[in-house]
Amino acid sequence: MDLTPIWLTLKLAGITTLVLLVAGLPLAWWLSGRRSFVKIIVEALITMPLVLPPSVLGFYLLLAFSPSKGLGKWLYQTFDVQFVFSFKGLVIASLIYSLPFMISPVKSALQQLPLSLSQASYTLGKSKWQTFWHVLLPNIKPSLFTAAVLTFAHTLGEFGVVLMIGGNIPGVTRVASIAVYDAVEQLDYTAANNYSLVLFAITFVMVTGVFIYNKYHAKSPLE
Amino acid sequence: MKALISKIIYFAAVMTALLISSGASAQVVRVAVAANLQPVIKVLQQDFKKRTGITIEPVSAASGTLATQIRNGAPFDIFMSADTELPKALFKDGFAANAPVVYAQGILILCSRHKVSLKKWWEILLSDKVTRFAIANPAVAPYGKAAEAALKRQGVYDKLKSKMVVGESIGQVNTYISTDAVNAGFTTLAFFRENSSKIPLVGWTIPDNTYPPIEQGMILLKRAEDNAAAIKFYKYIFTAEAKKLIVKYGYHVL
Repeated sequence: MDLTPIWLTLKLAGITTLVLLVAGLPLAWWLSGRRSFVKIIVEALITMPLVLPPSVLGFYLLLAFSPSKGLGKWLYQTFDVQFVFSFKGLVIASLIYSLPFMISPVKSALQQLPLSLSQASYTLGKSKWQTFWHVLLPNIKPSLFTAAVLTFAHTLGEFGVVLMIGGNIPGVTRVASIAVYDAVEQLDYTAANNYSLVLFAITFVMVTGVFIYNKYHAKSPLE
Repeated sequence: MKALISKIIYFAAVMTALLISSGASAQVVRVAVAANLQPVIKVLQQDFKKRTGITIEPVSAASGTLATQIRNGAPFDIFMSADTELPKALFKDGFAANAPVVYAQGILILCSRHKVSLKKWWEILLSDKVTRFAIANPAVAPYGKAAEAALKRQGVYDKLKSKMVVGESIGQVNTYISTDAVNAGFTTLAFFRENSSKIPLVGWTIPDNTYPPIEQGMILLKRAEDNAAAIKFYKYIFTAEAKKLIVKYGYHVL
């Protein structure tokens, strides 16, 4: 079995999870604050990849990044970067695609923290950021763990977006889900089965891990 | 928490380095191949590697899909289409270094896993034994277009429409046939030759004169204009050795 697709998938999921951990946490924090109309719209947009067909997202990204027109052309001519059919493009797509899996658990966990916690921190002279990093985040560790694992696992399963903007380029965009599809199309069921088993095993271990961890550390199973 | 943050930053740095380094992989010739070529491209690839040491990376999908990907910047060096229209249009719009040259002519067959005693291909489809049959999407797959033409020519298209399952490419049609998801399907002689020893298959040739000839054209894409390895492979396809393999796998060559 050619392990490149598995390695690519893990790399994609790893990068996506790390970037979302860094960029998603402040965003979740901002969303957890007082409700406003803007926040509702932003949250709706962030949550949409949960229900939107991945082909829709892939189609718009293809339009946006196609090197023949608009933004894509500008990026290509000015910086010589091309996002379609490249690994970088997959990272961008995955960030959008997996964003709700990072944001939702973190946001609801932050909202469930008692207000007195941050108030006490402010009274002791800590800034907003210090409070966030040193008081709030350590208090929602189980949710952070869940969010990171779900983001990672969800990215492993990405297919529609990849096929649209990534195509099926070996070593570049042929992630495991695409490799399964490609192997089936070539009637190579042994290879399809091997890739599927690896994905099945990884996903099973991760999701079971979350449930076991949460059994001991969280109040609700999907927190 | 501080330790966790520094760990995150460390991993992010490592991952970023990996991400950047992934761009600098070894030079290989990337060939976009029509899904119908899947069986033969594997042998051509091996034979070419043996002769020149050059690695070919085939990427297969429906020809129409590949053409769209090329228009949107897909990094392919050569396009081996299942027709000549798509490569012709790509050449006209400046994506190709040369006008398409026909490298093979496809042979359409009707194929099934079930022994049916009927002789005429359309009678098989009309019979009660066939509740579902597959054709590749005529909009993107030339073999689907040919099958559609043959059905219309025979005057059975409208009658059979309700039994028709449209596959996204000929590869998907082949999957449907081999998994028995459909009772029959329009596919290539190449598929039949490749698989009839592994799975019980019956095939009926569709007469050449009932569908427009499936002339498969090839182009060298603009980005490979100066790529010696790509040019070598392009030329190889027209050598006697390659032609022999192409014929062996169920195509006519000109």
